[in-house]
Amino acid sequence: MKTRLTLDTVAGSVLVLTAVLVGLVILYGVMAGIRISTNLPQDGLISPLQTITLTFSEPVHFEAVASVVSMDPVVDGYLELVDERTVQFIPIKPFDLDTSYKLTISPDVLALNGHALKKAHTWEFKVRDPLIVYLSPNVKDSSIWALDLNGSPSRRLTSADIKIIAFDASPDGEFIVFTVINEQGGVDLWKVTRDGSDVSILLDCGPERCTRTAISPNGKMIAYSREAAGISPGLPFGSPRIWVLNLQNGTNSPVYEDEQIIGYGPSWSPDSNKLASFDGLADQIRVLDLKENKQYIFPSNTGGPITWSPDSTKILFTNVVQMEDGLRTQVYIADLLLNKSQTLLGENDDLDHAYYSLAWSSVEERAVLGFRISEEQPMQILWLFDPALLEGIVIANQEEYSYNSPQWDPWGNSLIFQRFKLSGAFNPEIGLWRQGLNEPVILAPGLMPHWLP
Amino acid sequence: MTPAGFFTWLWDRLNVFATVFLGIFVEAVPYLLLGTLASGLVEVFLDRDQMSRWISGRPIAAAVSGAFMGMIFPVCECGVVPLTRRLFHKGLPLSAGISFLLAAPVLNPIVILSTAAAFGWGQMLFWRIGLSLLIAIVTGLIFSVEKEAGNVLRPSLTLSNEHIHANPESENSFPGKIREALLITADEFFEMGRYLVFGSVLAAALQTFISQSALLTIGSGPVLSVLVMLGLAVLLSICSTVDAFVALGFVGTFSFGSVLSFLVFGPMVDIKSVLMYLQVFKRRSVFYIVAIPFMMSLLSGLVFNYLFP
Repeated sequence: MKTRLTLDTVAGSVLVLTAVLVGLVILYGVMAGIRISTNLPQDGLISPLQTITLTFSEPVHFEAVASVVSMDPVVDGYLELVDERTVQFIPIKPFDLDTSYKLTISPDVLALNGHALKKAHTWEFKVRDPLIVYLSPNVKDSSIWALDLNGSPSRRLTSADIKIIAFDASPDGEFIVFTVINEQGGVDLWKVTRDGSDVSILLDCGPERCTRTAISPNGKMIAYSREAAGISPGLPFGSPRIWVLNLQNGTNSPVYEDEQIIGYGPSWSPDSNKLASFDGLADQIRVLDLKENKQYIFPSNTGGPITWSPDSTKILFTNVVQMEDGLRTQVYIADLLLNKSQTLLGENDDLDHAYYSLAWSSVEERAVLGFRISEEQPMQILWLFDPALLEGIVIANQEEYSYNSPQWDPWGNSLIFQRFKLSGAFNPEIGLWRQGLNEPVILAPGLMPHWLP
Repeated sequence: MTPAGFFTWLWDRLNVFATVFLGIFVEAVPYLLLGTLASGLVEVFLDRDQMSRWISGRPIAAAVSGAFMGMIFPVCECGVVPLTRRLFHKGLPLSAGISFLLAAPVLNPIVILSTAAAFGWGQMLFWRIGLSLLIAIVTGLIFSVEKEAGNVLRPSLTLSNEHIHANPESENSFPGKIREALLITADEFFEMGRYLVFGSVLAAALQTFISQSALLTIGSGPVLSVLVMLGLAVLLSICSTVDAFVALGFVGTFSFGSVLSFLVFGPMVDIKSVLMYLQVFKRRSVFYIVAIPFMMSLLSGLVFNYLFP
């Protein structure tokens, strides 16, 4: 006997079938428990300052998650709840090179609805080899290049068509922000990924000049100096002000509402909570604590670099003072906890050493300073010193060369710098100093070296 | 609550109601107009022979071609109802009509572009299109077992065509045909517009007196989150051309599967579209047109939440 299908029987059957499937999927889900995914790459190679994101299939108790997450070996860092299903591990100190890490989450009741993680999850990872990025020294080809320390040839990250003025590398090594002159005469911010695969404009500044970018150590914000366009073409730009572009929510605004507060050369504290900049109008360094909404002001008239102690409580900077027998550049240390600054170096100098290049590593007792030995010789040498003891060693002082732009790696073990010969053609080179090396090694011709961890 | 406090509360609620009502109605009206215009043009320029040549009589082919027809008609869920009704009138097979009705609000170019603008050319767009097609075709196929269209469609489907044949001479000229199409458009716009108004009033009332934040609060967990998003899709009654931007706001709070189910189910079923469906289909048919996409969207959301979190 042939049965005729009707709409009711077919539709009813489909509804029953889907209801059964819904039940089976729910049953499977309940039996399987909570599922977790991470942002750890497939090859297990991460940045030394990688934020590890754990995404749960269900909303979870943060405290319960915090109690079952462990790292072996232990790394300084903290867990943060991003939303009710996402938890991040943010390292305070970098993961070590050549160490295998294990992140484990033990089974427990984690979900707000009482669902449990049924089995332990473990991820293994190591830190990838850091790259060094720099600007091509060729005047006609102002592009960014990347170099590893394994001897492979340098690799171009940006096209020769893009004329780059300067750049900054993100502390997690995932991207680089660079500045480019636009058609209106202003300067825009651009971004390129670590492998150079994606180059895109980040901020169109129109006729205004956006320069001196500084990416926050947590990678969430970019501080930069912004100069308003002149009233008409050909007239000078306005005074620079410090702006912050938030990469998470896209907001872009000046740090200080008061338009009279100018700022240049922003510098982030290692904890990303404080932002220092130079106010050339008032001859001051302003430090704004974004978390506590507190401001610190220290006198400085050089506009030179500002460098932070690893615990984000102190800064080193330079200042020029008038002595009886002439001008002296001095190095100052400012303690934010005491809200006080004092001369660290140069108070009793009998000549002006023109202290300029300053870089404090992630190791408290390791900083580097560039200065000249004599007033007759413009060459600068690099001196590695302990800011507490003021003892140190010269690490780069080859005759006829001047050294500057020192940059520490995330561990404070290796230092890259730029050097150039004082006579002859301008041929800047990138050099590397590493603990245990008697002499620095020269890596490649280039400018403005940065680590790309 | 004091009487004064009650009236203040009521006044605030009425303000919210008016705002929400206008929001839904103004957003939907242009698309209803577009749909009724398409319907008028179909009535005048398309005859039954052409329809039978274009759309296969075989159920699977009809359902698939009906679903893909959405790609050429820029209509959302408001405009698709009068257009489908007109196509039925022109002899469109049931399976093709049902799959067109359900797929067109997602598959039209405007919605594809707006979803891409909100979520990028990635997984959300791919799965939205893929699942909408699947659900539309399956539902169309289910309806293909019904050989007698009268068992599915309302008897009142005979349209008010009093303008047609009013002037046989002008009818044959192009301007005359356009005039007829516009007259049909106007008639149908006001006819379906009533249900759009009722639907918008109902949706606005529900949104005013049922707290969206309360729904969101209970909407955690892999099952409840999908159910809440399906409920929100019906309650909010947002036009499919802009719903991706609303859905984007739920990302982070809700899982991928929950947001996807919102984007798939919302364009097929909401308060105003159900009221319009009731003018074209019998109640039993409307029940299936609502229930089958609901169950399949629920299943899709759960699969993503549990199997691909």
